[in-house]
Formats: sequence, structure tokens, C-alpha cells
Amino acid sequence: MISEVSPPASGASSDAPGAGGTPQRKFTYFAVALLVVGLLLGLGAGLVAPGLREPGDDSVEAGFLRDMSTHHAQAVEMAMIAHAGSTNPEIVTLAADIATTQQGQIGYMQSWLRDWHLSPTGTAEPMAWIPGSEGSIVNGLMPGMATPDQMAALRKATGKDLDVQFLTLMRAHHVGGVHMAQEGVELSENENVDWIADSMVTAQQGEIQLIDSLLKKAQAS
Amino acid sequence: MSTPGPERVPSTVKVGKTTGQGKPPAGKSAANRPGGNRPAGKGGKGKGRKPVTPVKVSGGRNWGPIAVAGIVVLIAAGIIGYGVFASVQGSKPWEEQAAAIEGVVDYRAQKNAQIDDRTHKEGQLTYVTNPPVGGAHNATWQNCMGDVYTQPIANEHAVHSLEHGAVWITYKQGLAADQVEKLQTKVEGKEYTFMSPVANLDKNISVQVWGYQLKVDSADDSRIDDFIRATRVKASMEPGAACSSGNTSTDPVPAAAASAPATE
Repeated sequence: MISEVSPPASGASSDAPGAGGTPQRKFTYFAVALLVVGLLLGLGAGLVAPGLREPGDDSVEAGFLRDMSTHHAQAVEMAMIAHAGSTNPEIVTLAADIATTQQGQIGYMQSWLRDWHLSPTGTAEPMAWIPGSEGSIVNGLMPGMATPDQMAALRKATGKDLDVQFLTLMRAHHVGGVHMAQEGVELSENENVDWIADSMVTAQQGEIQLIDSLLKKAQAS
Repeated sequence: MSTPGPERVPSTVKVGKTTGQGKPPAGKSAANRPGGNRPAGKGGKGKGRKPVTPVKVSGGRNWGPIAVAGIVVLIAAGIIGYGVFASVQGSKPWEEQAAAIEGVVDYRAQKNAQIDDRTHKEGQLTYVTNPPVGGAHNATWQNCMGDVYTQPIANEHAVHSLEHGAVWITYKQGLAADQVEKLQTKVEGKEYTFMSPVANLDKNISVQVWGYQLKVDSADDSRIDDFIRATRVKASMEPGAACSSGNTSTDPVPAAAASAPATE
């Protein structure tokens, strides 16, 4: 705007002061007004745009982060039980890996929700962000999650029993987790969510193979 | 912004015939502005020949751009206003949301040193309220991974779970089974929640987080869900602290080491 206005204006004033006259002044006012409006619009857009860019309360991203936090929290719980109770060094190490990794990921997921000014918890049914997920929640538990009875049995178990129960429960938990993470990668449009969900798919698929080999050894022992 | 300033001073001459005879650039700008019946205003030069009509017309018309600008400013102000309103509205803190629920008692506001006490203490402890909403507590927290305890649990452990951000749903021991089942659906599968009966509760149901408590008569009361929504996890005094690895028994806490010989 300015650049279009200025050259003729300066030419007029240096040469024939009166030549521009009122029309030119009006034009200048108009340009200034446009500039001000542009600034205001830019300001307004700047205020509103971040809110539009961030996922909302009922978004796929928020649903994924909340549900995966819940799912992870139980994996941490199972892993801590095995870490404290198992006498098999390989299983103690696997349990430490799972517990620390997934607790760390909960931190990532919760802080993104906080960054987006969203509640860390939601009111929607678990996995409601996945189309067609109706009916997959049993007693509030997402696929792969252990029941209270299974958790109680795991707490009581010792030795080989503990190892086998832990590996079996964690295997199922990972299968459910990988499925949910794949849905996250598929449905999310947020790069943070895509990044962490993708890393979960890779890591947990790898761990399932490790669990399978440990499970064979544990059952044979 | 400063560029247009100086030009205003010389351009005091009145509307008249001036436009046409000046330099081509001046004619160009003048022809450019009215816009309407000049299809290719940029062309400039020759068109400066018929000065009078365009100038008069433009003089009468200049409310147009002002009106347009005015409308645009209004829209811009509206967008900004909405943006500010929405962001203020959305960021209403959870404490305000919790306190706004009818019947919620805000113990944090009372600044009661005994309730605010967050130290770890051994042995059985006494609390200001029943059930407690805060205060010194056992070093071990009660497991609060959506655990449903069917027997009363130790306050000393439960208060530690509140400190970690859990919602503790308690009900009068002997409450009707269908009411207990309804409460159970609010807890199952949800970490940072747990529930247990309390022997001498003055209302049927009491829901609490650290520093806030809501007592109601029925599990159907929608304020229970409002309270959970407003406070779960958010009420944590130690962000990130876990609900797992806690105590899962319903036994009372062991007596403090120092007084151990004297008791039992």
C-alpha cells in the first residue's frame, strides 16, 4: 500500500505543492486507515490463530493423549510389580525399561495437553476418538488392559508364576497399546502426537518379540 | 506511517482544476483513486485531460472508502474481542470451576495449617474433617489406579493419594448396592480415582481431592461428575506423581516406631 502511494505523492509535493490537493490527502488517509485495519486484523489473527491450530477438547489428539496416558499408567503399574518381585534379571531389566519409558511418555502427553490449555482428563468414553470403537470398553478398561482380578493375582504371584503372568499380561497390554497407537498415527494431524504414537508402535512391537522369547524361557524353566 | 505526514502540509489548495495540469505522476495518483469509471488508472498521462468531473465525483464519493474501512475495523475489533473473550473463558482455572459447584467446601481457602500439612508421619493420625481432605500422612499412598476397595481404608494412606492428585470417592458403609455400583462406574479403569466405604460418614457420599470436598445424598447427583471433571489430576500437589506402586491392602497403618512398644 505504502509503496504505491509514496512515489507519486513525493513527486507532487516537491514539484507542485498544490497539485495533489485534497484527493491525494484522502487517498493517504485511506491508505493509513487500511494499514491500521491490516495491523488490527493481523493482531486479531495472531490472538485467535494459535487457538485454532491447537487441538480442541474433543479432538482426536486430546482423546489419544488422555487414553494413552491411562493405558500407559497401568503398564507402569504392572512393570513396577515385576521389577520389585521378579528374580529373573532379564525381566527386571525389561520391567525397568517399560516403567521408565512409559512414565516418561505420560509426562510428554500430559504436558502437551497442558500446553493446549486442555484438561488432563476427559469426560468422553475411553477411545471414543476412534470411529467404530463402541463396545470395546469392558468395565471401563481399554483393550489390552488387565482386570482388577488379574492385577491382584499378579501382586500375589512369585517366582516363575510372577514372570509368566507379568509377561502374558504385558504382551496383551502391548498388543492393545500398539493398536491404539496405530490409530493415533492414522487419525492425528498433530506432529507431536504422530511422533510419539509412531515411536510407541515401533518400540512396543519390538518388545512384544522380546516378551515372546522371554515367555518361552520362563515357561520352560 | 511518517511518510504521509509532510505531504499533508502543502496540499492545502482546494479542489479546483489543479489535478490535470500537474506532472504526470500527480495526475496518475489522482486518476487512480476514484477507481470507478477508470478501467486502467495506472496508464495515467492522457487521462489527466478531463480533470473536473473525476475530482467532483471523488469529493462526493469519499465516504465509500471510509465506510468500508469502518466496517472492516468493526469486524477486526469483533475478531479480537472474541479471541480475548474465548481465551479468558477457556482458561478459567480448575480451582474456580471446583469452588463454583454447589456444595463444594474449599478447604484450601481456609489456610488451616493442619489441613495444609504435607509432611510424612508414621502411625495413626487424626484429621480435621471426616473423610480427611489433607494433612500429614503416611509415606505410602493408597493405590489409586481406579481401585475399588470394599472395606474402609487407612486415612493416612488415602490422604497421600489425594496429594498425588487422586479423587477419593467415599460412601457410608452399608449404602445400597445399586448406589455403590453407580459410584463404581465412575472409578473403574480410571487412574487417579479410588473409592472405599467409611464407617461414620455424615452423608451418604463424600467425594474429595486435596483441599476440596463435596458431600451429596445420591450417586445420581450430577455434581459428583462435575467435581471429578474439575479436579481429577489437576488437584495434584505433586504434578506427575503416580497412583500405582501404592498400598493395596485395607489394613490400618502400623503404629509409629517410637510408640510401638507402648501400643498393642
